[in-house]
Amino acid sequence: MTMDLSRRALLLSAATLSGLARAFGDSSKFIPAVVKHAGRWDGRSSGLRRLAWELQGRTSIEVSLEARPIGLDSPKLFDFPFLYLSGEGELPPLTGPEVENLRRYLTFGGFLFADASDGSDGTGFDASFRRELSRVLPQSPLAPLPSSHVVFKSFFLLDSAPGRFLDKPFLEGAQINKRAVVMYSQNDVLGALNRDEAGTWEYEPSPGGAKQREVATRLAINIVMYAMCLDYKDDAVHIKEIMKRRH
Amino acid sequence: MESIDTWKLVSLSSLPPPVLVALGLALALGVGLAAWGVRRETSALRRWLMWSLRALAAIAALFFLLEPGVRRLQVARVKNRVAVLVDRSASMSFPVAPRGPTRSQAVADALKALAPQFEALKDRYAFEVVGFDPELSPVSVEQLASQSPPGSRTDLFSALRAVKAQDSSGARKLAGVIVFSDGADNVDLAQGLVGHARSTVESFGVPISTVAVGQGGLADLSVDSVKVDDFAFVRNSITAEAEVHARGFKGQQVTVVLRREGQVVATRPVQFETDDDTVPVTFTFTPDQTGRFVYTVSVPVFPEEAVAENNTRSFALKVIRDRVRVLLVAGRPSWDERAIRGILKQDANVELVSFYILRTTGDQVKADDKDLSLIPFPRNEIFQEKLATFDLVIVLNFSHDDPGTSLAMFQRDIEAYVNNGGAMAYLGGDRSFGEAPASPTPFDAILPVTTAGPADPAPFVARLTPDGQRHPVTMLASGSASTESAWAALPPVQGLNLTRPRPGAVVLLDHPFATVDGKNAPLLVIQEIGRGRSLALMSDATWSWSLGAHAQGSPTRSYERFWNNAIRWLVRDPDLTTLSIAADPPSVEPGRPVVGVVVARQPDYQPAAGASVHVELVRADDGQLVAEQQVVAGADGTVRVEFPTVPAGAYKLSAKATLGERALGESSDAVAVRAVGPELSDVRVNAPLLAEIARASHGAFFEAPGFSVGDVPLAEPPLVEVGRSKDQPLWDRWYWLTVLVLVAGLEWSVRRRFGYV
Repeated sequence: MTMDLSRRALLLSAATLSGLARAFGDSSKFIPAVVKHAGRWDGRSSGLRRLAWELQGRTSIEVSLEARPIGLDSPKLFDFPFLYLSGEGELPPLTGPEVENLRRYLTFGGFLFADASDGSDGTGFDASFRRELSRVLPQSPLAPLPSSHVVFKSFFLLDSAPGRFLDKPFLEGAQINKRAVVMYSQNDVLGALNRDEAGTWEYEPSPGGAKQREVATRLAINIVMYAMCLDYKDDAVHIKEIMKRRH
Repeated sequence: MESIDTWKLVSLSSLPPPVLVALGLALALGVGLAAWGVRRETSALRRWLMWSLRALAAIAALFFLLEPGVRRLQVARVKNRVAVLVDRSASMSFPVAPRGPTRSQAVADALKALAPQFEALKDRYAFEVVGFDPELSPVSVEQLASQSPPGSRTDLFSALRAVKAQDSSGARKLAGVIVFSDGADNVDLAQGLVGHARSTVESFGVPISTVAVGQGGLADLSVDSVKVDDFAFVRNSITAEAEVHARGFKGQQVTVVLRREGQVVATRPVQFETDDDTVPVTFTFTPDQTGRFVYTVSVPVFPEEAVAENNTRSFALKVIRDRVRVLLVAGRPSWDERAIRGILKQDANVELVSFYILRTTGDQVKADDKDLSLIPFPRNEIFQEKLATFDLVIVLNFSHDDPGTSLAMFQRDIEAYVNNGGAMAYLGGDRSFGEAPASPTPFDAILPVTTAGPADPAPFVARLTPDGQRHPVTMLASGSASTESAWAALPPVQGLNLTRPRPGAVVLLDHPFATVDGKNAPLLVIQEIGRGRSLALMSDATWSWSLGAHAQGSPTRSYERFWNNAIRWLVRDPDLTTLSIAADPPSVEPGRPVVGVVVARQPDYQPAAGASVHVELVRADDGQLVAEQQVVAGADGTVRVEFPTVPAGAYKLSAKATLGERALGESSDAVAVRAVGPELSDVRVNAPLLAEIARASHGAFFEAPGFSVGDVPLAEPPLVEVGRSKDQPLWDRWYWLTVLVLVAGLEWSVRRRFGYV
């Protein structure tokens, strides 16, 4: 308990200090917003907090550590350009207003990172998410993102997309006007960052253990970096240096 | 006009012509039937005898039907007109030969020598000497000898058509044309007598005789032509192709120079292989500034040249952007950065170069550099070497407290860039203005605001100022009311850097209640600085105008429109200037006035009717004032300014306008006044063209003015009746009737004798 309190206190104090140092409002910061749905929507809250913490420590991105729960039919959705959706088991069907609101959100600049906490494939969260997304973006189906996609070089240079699992070696994405508006992992990316109430890692990434956790952390950072910088790392000035490092 | 007695045979029959024709046909039928009736006659002699007698009888009958007579009348020969066309184009001021008289003088001498011959033919022809430039006007020998030919072009075809047109309206018929010219046509016949011109000359109706005036042997160097596009893209190479023509410079080498308003852009040596040589010269250069500029191609002037003015040729070149080149520098990833990048990347007219600080020195990435995609921020390359290549620099919430990324050492470069015509957009946030850890920043001097304290983090709805209602940057809809509604409908912005506008800056958006110095705190401020422009937006949370504006379900493009407007204004899109002046045309032929068209608009882009406009014409090379005018704009905000008789050279037209106390801005354009037009650029005599005209119209060609009028083919003058006529019948003589009776009787007798009656 002591450890838990101290970790929370540390994170919250960092957030408070950050806010004091930059007393300008939060809207330009990275604020993880979590989709509230009828299923188990908040299973990766600590993983999200950890992601924000890692972003704060490793990059220049200013963050708000506490995730904001939000309903898909809420107009407040548009206050948060980054949206996280996860679940274990089936994702309940979205209502008509939720489908409409999410479609508009994604079309006009929002970004959704969906994460199958149950690591399902063809069942559970995986099947239901694909079903609901096909209602939201019928013209933009999910497709594997190639290894050349900018998300694999937006900050760290990556060649895989692991999470708690490594069942699928790739991310999938749905694109509108060449922008990936949805990224989806079946590997429970934030599950690798999740801690339990005792403050210890909740899951041991499989099969890579701690190394896989680090890669999952880097992947999560890259996804946020992509959401905020789009294809910046595809600019010509970066390509030469990146190619040199990849080889 | 002297009369002559003459006569002619006429028919005095009172029968109408159709009746006469019918009777004539009946007689012919009778002759035919006679021939048919004797076709079986075995004796050819008999057959021919009977047929001949019938024919003679018919002729005799026809004689009486026609009643022939003699008409005695008095006629006179009408004097015809001979047009003596003298070329009055400027090239006739060239000497006929080195150190010889001018071509016009040579024509004057020739006409003086021909005068007795003209006099000798005055009963038949009226020789009318007219000059053409190309309009026809009478010209005297004295004028030819003493006045410089004024024509700016040689248009032989037009002159010939004018002569032909006079022929249909004048009392005297045209009997021929004599053309005195150097043949240096630079209009319809510049490429020779071909096509429609040839067919017109061939069917001219009267002979056109031509006289070549001038000889070869003149030394001259000229820039004959410069072929170049009307516009070029800045920082893109463009090619100008010049033709340098040399006569009498065989084996010599000269240097051809391309200048832009006095500054040498490029030089090319050329060598002339023959005495009459044309050498193409190609200049490839890269304009580095937008605007209109006067370029001049020139060759040196030699003392022996026939004409020096054709040694230069100027052209005006409009340099435009191919794409707006934007540098986007962000102090860290943010949603504003993302929204602006999204807009710029979607715009095909924008070339975006961006640098974001993704990691600060305090960040611990927990990875080797080889595992990172980060590259060093190439500050020196961007802000020292390549800054001038950008049309616009956008800086978002950039901190200078980190020595590894600070731009402090580039303050002079940044200030020079804006003052020399660059554009800067500076966005606020928690590292900008009053929040900046390091102050002052290298951008302070060129920004339209100064810091006024710590930021106000409270959300607020931006308010459109009166200036903002009319300004193109904030014009989200047509009309100020619609624009105000559009801004009011946008979501709140969270956080505002408190600043105060500099004197002369224009506040377009402000905070509805937060104040600085008793005035509403500005959110969006612009200003003109030096030759450049800057914009300050005191927030890094305006992305909510993009995504947040769609929360209520109605699609809006206000954010995109705002940034498009801002970029266009910052880079001085010609459509977004309140004052513009355009040279019309940008290249002026010698002797023509320099004309500028000024369009003045108010800040809300309504026509500035009655605006006071001051226009200056200055030499582009040294800025010396040549002329100036003060004019007033019309109801549509437009006014035309004319500067007559401007010497050849490169000039800048500059306009300033005010409406009441308010300045409407400044504008300038470039104009080239050519030293010589096409008329004086070529000293050669085009004798082959003159010979071809003469040949096509059945006239005569003379290689020099010394010829005899008797050798000139002319149409004969016609005769006309000038007195009463008198008819004397021939048919009413008794012996004609006797002949008719005898022939008819003989024919009947013969036919009877041979058994055909």
